[in-house]
Amino acid sequence: MRRCLECAQKEPDRACVDCQYFIQPSPLRRVPSSPVRVLLEDGYGKQYPARILVLSTTEFGLETEAPVPGRYVIRLQENLWVEVAGVSFKGKNNVHLFDILCVHRKQETARRLSREEYQLLAGSTGELIYEVTRHLPEHLQDLVREKLLAEVEKSELINALKVGVVMKYESGRFRFLSGQADLGLPMEETEKLMRQAIRQAEHRREVIISADGKKVFDLHCVPFDYRSGGLLALDITGVIEKERKMHRQEMQVYREAIAAVTGGRLYLVSSGEIEKVVSEGMELARGEVRQSRDIPEARRAMREALPVLDSRRQHAIALCLTEALANALKHAGGGCWQARQSGDTVRIIVQDRGPGIKTSELTRATLMQHYSTKNSLGCGFTLMLYYADRLYLNTGSSGTVLILDFGIMPAEGLTGLNQ
Amino acid sequence: MLLKVDVYVDRGVCRLVLNGELDMETVVQMQEAVGKVKEHTLEIDLSGVSFVDSTGLKSLLDISNEWRQKGGRMLVLRPQPDVAEVMRLVGLDGLLAQDTALAGEER
Repeated sequence: MRRCLECAQKEPDRACVDCQYFIQPSPLRRVPSSPVRVLLEDGYGKQYPARILVLSTTEFGLETEAPVPGRYVIRLQENLWVEVAGVSFKGKNNVHLFDILCVHRKQETARRLSREEYQLLAGSTGELIYEVTRHLPEHLQDLVREKLLAEVEKSELINALKVGVVMKYESGRFRFLSGQADLGLPMEETEKLMRQAIRQAEHRREVIISADGKKVFDLHCVPFDYRSGGLLALDITGVIEKERKMHRQEMQVYREAIAAVTGGRLYLVSSGEIEKVVSEGMELARGEVRQSRDIPEARRAMREALPVLDSRRQHAIALCLTEALANALKHAGGGCWQARQSGDTVRIIVQDRGPGIKTSELTRATLMQHYSTKNSLGCGFTLMLYYADRLYLNTGSSGTVLILDFGIMPAEGLTGLNQ
Repeated sequence: MLLKVDVYVDRGVCRLVLNGELDMETVVQMQEAVGKVKEHTLEIDLSGVSFVDSTGLKSLLDISNEWRQKGGRMLVLRPQPDVAEVMRLVGLDGLLAQDTALAGEER
C-alpha cells in the first residue's frame, strides 16, 4: 500500500504500467499494443470511459475518472461482460488497479477471463476477427464474426474438462495415484479394458457411460508390462454438454447465414418447427418412393392432385418434387412425399430416414448459386432453390425433411421471367 | 412407355427424336440409343419432351462431352420453353442449336 503512495509522491511521472507492483508480474501480464477503450458502468447506469493499459487474466490496470473504490461492469461484447472492483491503494492519479470479480459469458460465469477473452483484449484474436471480416458485405459481417468467435470459444472445451483420476493396475488391483478418488468409474468395465490393453500390449481407449447414465468417461489404458498398467480416466461429461451447446449455437449461425444468402428463402428449422409446418393446410396427395420408377409415378399422382396452374408453375413443381425425391433415393434409399395446399401455397414435403446432410455440404449446395452440371455433383438443389418460393429444411442423423413452398397466384413481377 | 426414342439417319447426321419425359428412370433409353450411333453428327430433338430432370440434363452433358472428345458434333434441338429454361439455368444452353428460337413458334 505504501508503495503507490510513495510512488505518487516521489515519482509522480513514472507510469503505473511499468511498475512491477501495480499488476503482479507473471507470464500473463500483458500491455495491449494500444490501450483498449472500454466503458465502466456503475450500479446506477452512469458510465465512465476508461482505457485498459495493462491486464492479466484476473486484473485490469485502467486509466479512468471513475471513482475508486467502486464496482463497475465492463461490457466487452454483447455476450461477454466483466464485473470489476477498483482497488484504491494500487495506482495513482487516474490510473488504478481493478480486480476482476466475475466474468459473465452468455452461458456461464467465471472468476477469471478465459484464455481467448484475454487474448481478445491483449490484442490478437479480436482484431484479427475484425480484420478478416472487414471486407465482407455488411449484412454478413456480424454473422461471420459470431461464427469465428464461436470457433475461438471451442478451445474453452478444455476448461470444461474435469481431469478425473490416474490409477495403477497391478496383479488384478487398481491403486489410486492421483486425481479425484470418488469419480464413480464403472470399475468392472474399466478393469476389462485394462486387461485387454495388457493382454494386447497396446494402448486402449474407450468412451464409457456410467451405470446411471449421467457421466461420460474417456478411459485410457496404457500397459506397463505383462501384469501391470496405468489408467487415466477423464470425466468428459461437461465437454460433451458443451459440445452440444456449441453445436446448437453453430446451427443457429448457419440458419441465419443461409437465410441471408438465399434472400430469406431457405430456412433450417428444428424438428419441432417442422412438425408444425408439415401439418398446415390440407393434403392433396401422398406417396412413397423406393426405386427410380416410383418417381415419375409420384409426379403423375401429384399433377393430378394439383389445382389448375399455368404450365410453367406446374413444370417447376414437378421438377422440384423429382429432384427432392431423387436426392432421397440417392442418399437414403427412398422416402415419402406429400403435396398439400394452404391458401395460395402449394407445399411439397419430402421426408427420408437417411443419415442427414452435413452442414458443410449444405453450405456448398446453397451458397454456390451458379452451381452447374459441369460440377460432378448434381444440380438438383440449385434448381429447387431457383423455383421454390420458400424452402424449409430439417436434417439430422435420423433423417431429412425438405419442404418446398410454391405460390400459385401468378405474381405480376414474375411474368418477365417467363420468356 | 414414358419415353419413346426414334432414330433417323440422313447423310452422316443421326437425329434422335425423343417423346415423353427424360428423367432418372428413362435416361438409360436415350443412352442406349446414343450408344449405337455411328454418325459424326448427333442431333437430339427434344420437341416432344415435356420434362427433363437433373439426371437427364447431366446425361445430355455427358453425351456432349463424349461427342466433343471424338471430334464430332452434338446438338440439342427444339426444347420446349420450360425445358429450355432449366437448361439455361444450369448452364447447358450452349448445347442448343442456333435455330432454337424457332422451337417455340413451331410448337
